[in-house]
Amino acid sequence: MGRRWPDACRGRGAPPHAVPSSAEHRAALASDAVRGAVTLALAAYFLGLLLSIAANSASGASALVSALHGRLFSPWMVPPWLDLGFDYGLTRGLPDDADHRLLVSGRGAAAPALEFPASGMTGQRAARWRRLARAVAIDDADPSGTSVLATGMAEGLFSRVGADDLEVVVSRDPFPERGTAARSAPEKVSTVRLRRGSAGLQLIRTSDPEELAPLLRPAPPLEGKVR
Amino acid sequence: MAFPSAGSAIAAAWERCWFAPALPRPLAIVRILAGTVALALWWSWSADLNTWFGPDGLLPVEAVREWRSPWGVSILDLARSTVVVRGLYLAIGAALVCLTVGLATPLAAPLAAAGFASLLHRAPMLAGPADDCTAVLLWCLVVGRSGDDLSVDRQLAVARGSGPAQPGIRNRIALSLLLVHAAVIAGAALLAQLKADVWWGGSAAWLLSINAAVPVQFQTAFGRSEYLTDAVTHGITLFEAVFAAGVCVPALRRLTGWIGIVGWPVVGLVVGEPWWGAAMAVFAVTVLLTAPVDGDRAG
Repeated sequence: MGRRWPDACRGRGAPPHAVPSSAEHRAALASDAVRGAVTLALAAYFLGLLLSIAANSASGASALVSALHGRLFSPWMVPPWLDLGFDYGLTRGLPDDADHRLLVSGRGAAAPALEFPASGMTGQRAARWRRLARAVAIDDADPSGTSVLATGMAEGLFSRVGADDLEVVVSRDPFPERGTAARSAPEKVSTVRLRRGSAGLQLIRTSDPEELAPLLRPAPPLEGKVR
Repeated sequence: MAFPSAGSAIAAAWERCWFAPALPRPLAIVRILAGTVALALWWSWSADLNTWFGPDGLLPVEAVREWRSPWGVSILDLARSTVVVRGLYLAIGAALVCLTVGLATPLAAPLAAAGFASLLHRAPMLAGPADDCTAVLLWCLVVGRSGDDLSVDRQLAVARGSGPAQPGIRNRIALSLLLVHAAVIAGAALLAQLKADVWWGGSAAWLLSINAAVPVQFQTAFGRSEYLTDAVTHGITLFEAVFAAGVCVPALRRLTGWIGIVGWPVVGLVVGEPWWGAAMAVFAVTVLLTAPVDGDRAG
């Protein structure tokens, strides 16, 4: 902030004719040691920041970057929420970038019992629901995944809707043509059926209804997904 | 000998950038602004807290643990009842209030940053750009002595007969970290946008205006004029480029700071992320407050 350094803070910058006393000399040495340590810590952090940006990009990352980032930096950068890619493209013009909505209804019901974000919800609250709906759709589309989110939400949804057989739909609003106000009807992105019975919880992907629904048991730990 | 002199110049610049003691006033202003943004974001969880995290919530701990990074941890993972969830949530809010007003700041700052990160780790799929940037702001405040000015702590110290707030190296490190992050976030956002055709083709602003978070007036205006849409799209990327570059040039920081303070909230509104715009405006305030005064070489 434009202040000149106080003499006590000069360290190496002291004029050559100023012969430090032994106490001052020790203080200067300690100061140098601290500065060295801070410089090293900053260098490590900046390398981590660089690798976080490279590894958390939507474009993907090389195996080398992923390995370095995952093994050396994630363990101490993830817990404080500093493992960030700042990949704020905001929109790529893809259907995925449209607003998503979560609709939950009892099986066979005409209208959804729950809708998130509910009409009238605004601001960050509505934005968080839209992010959840999008995450459910992405999670459900992952061929290697087990629809962790939809399955995890099951108990809460059963109790809220008051039914043991639910249909969970994620819909999104397609982008209209540029310059036109006409909006198309929302399109379904993902539909899963959640059923609770004597055999336990079943998740049925409605897009593939002929497959036998798997009986869900506690899954082995999966590799975590970074946002 | 060119190399030793270049090395000395770099070392001197590094010393000035990271170790020149700084007064706590700029960091105190950042503390108040960042604390306010963090409180607003914290509040946005309140209405659905039990719906998400309650005993029969939609986001049970086990499901979130499978979904998030294996290194993610949250104090809220321990909460198994509505009362504990609400209690921990209120404790995080209390830490944020203490940080904002500067009460017990050396303790409140790390608790607020850790608590905020904990809230985000409890449901990472709900977090957005504003949360990310606010988390960074809060951790930078942990590094410095932001409670030494414009704070309850300061008032208490004055009542005890303390002298004026002293400059400190920790304040400089915190301010410089904020500057680095301001440039990095703007630069990374710019890079992410330039990877998509819609930012080159000019239609990004139109597509963003369709989203529910954007005021409908923007969609109407963009619908009337393609040139306006193009101008806003290119304006956003140009603004981010100017901001990222301007932060790195001490002589331009005052101008860059003002551009950012005005520009980031507008960008936030146009892209439907108003709190991201607010958090970035706090970075812009740092840029303005760390601009060298006339005749000062230190940046």
